[in-house]
Amino acid sequence: MRERSPWQVQKSVIYALFLREVNVRFSAGKLGYFWVIFEPLMQISIFVMVKMLLFGSKSPLDYSVFITIGFVAFNLFRHILDRSMTAFAGNKGLYAYKQVKPIDGLVARILVEILITMVIAAIFIAAGLYLDRDMNVENIGMVILGFLWLILFSFGLGLFISVIGIFFDSFLKVVKLLLSPLMFISAVFYSMQNMPQALQSLLYYNPLTHFIEMIHDNYFSVLNDGFIDYEYMAIWTIVPFYMALWLYRKLEKGIISI
Amino acid sequence: MIELQGVTKYFRTTLGKKYILKDVSFAIPSNVNIGILGRNGAGKSTLMRMLGQIEFPNQGKILSDKTFSWVMGVGGGFQNNMTGRANVKFVCRIYGKSKEEIDRAIAYVKEFSELGDYFEMPIRTYSSGMKSRLTFGLSLAFDFDYLLIDETLSVGDARFRKKSKEALMKKIESCNVLLVSHDMGTLRDICDVGIVSNNAQLHFFDDINDAIKMYETINK
Repeated sequence: MRERSPWQVQKSVIYALFLREVNVRFSAGKLGYFWVIFEPLMQISIFVMVKMLLFGSKSPLDYSVFITIGFVAFNLFRHILDRSMTAFAGNKGLYAYKQVKPIDGLVARILVEILITMVIAAIFIAAGLYLDRDMNVENIGMVILGFLWLILFSFGLGLFISVIGIFFDSFLKVVKLLLSPLMFISAVFYSMQNMPQALQSLLYYNPLTHFIEMIHDNYFSVLNDGFIDYEYMAIWTIVPFYMALWLYRKLEKGIISI
Repeated sequence: MIELQGVTKYFRTTLGKKYILKDVSFAIPSNVNIGILGRNGAGKSTLMRMLGQIEFPNQGKILSDKTFSWVMGVGGGFQNNMTGRANVKFVCRIYGKSKEEIDRAIAYVKEFSELGDYFEMPIRTYSSGMKSRLTFGLSLAFDFDYLLIDETLSVGDARFRKKSKEALMKKIESCNVLLVSHDMGTLRDICDVGIVSNNAQLHFFDDINDAIKMYETINK
């Protein structure tokens, strides 16, 4: 058999796992395509409707676009975390092949989520152009950077939770509990600048708020980006990532033979 | 050559550490077919998994410059919600096979395993015999230095057993095999040397018949 470098091996493993994930997610009979687009559509319609009913349609910005971006970013984070949490156990049968390491399955799942998000974003952009919504981005580079940074942040946090969660089941339960109200405290469907002061200082501790604010505020020129604390975001990216990789290196063999 | 250097392997149980190997240093010569014997729970499968690098010693090292197949055990090594075909494709991909090689492997495995329509169905619908056919057929599509076979030759119906054995005899002209089996006939036919696993130690025999004798003594 021909010699391959470790990187070539890992690349082919991640690629094989990626294809497998896509296959399982979008196989016939599971309505994979339907849910992928239906979930954000539901979220967006509900929140746009609630906003119209409660506050009327007067707004300094295109609220439907605001909410769409918020949910696309939030769902990306949420799905990366959810999919990470079950990745180690979900690929257990495949650790029979020594090339397949637990982290490869996790990376493959994250790549699938990124792909899905890109497809959804493309559909919404097309719909936005067609329906003549506000498509003038203030700073497109910063919006893209915001999404890329969000992926990195979710990856680190997801890996950290997974490594601990595989050994302590109750840890996963606590995390899930903490994540359940997250949609409401992450500036997904409101902007920080419109919140009362007391609430602002509380929401400030939620790192995800900063990421979604970064994306929102760089899309709409009317929004003030003074709330974003880049240093806080960096800490929340680097610390979990570093700890997760350190723990993973120590515990990889244990995860394989779990 | 396969070299074990001070290998210790144990499992933590509620009743303390259960040793499979205790400070075992050992060299297995090259170019021989090796039979592994031992009572149930002696650690034969764990030894195989360690050679296949999916289980790791608590202390010590296992060194070898040879390539090993995955461990062909009863039922293991497949993802239950994938079809037989998807599993074959997956394994080919992780071993870096090209598109044409994958197509050839699929055709070969499908033909050899005689799974028929089941080849297109999820593994969870397979019996353990069918899983063994698939994993064994699949391993024949690769060129390893060693095949790691854990009792899979003794499942399946008589006709398929005969077919597998013939295929294996042909395959071992170009590679070697590490075989765990409780079937002394198979061991005598295929293996040259033997290892008996007993009381957390390994005993090596130049002749498989001597290994079988020891195994029969400890089993009395």
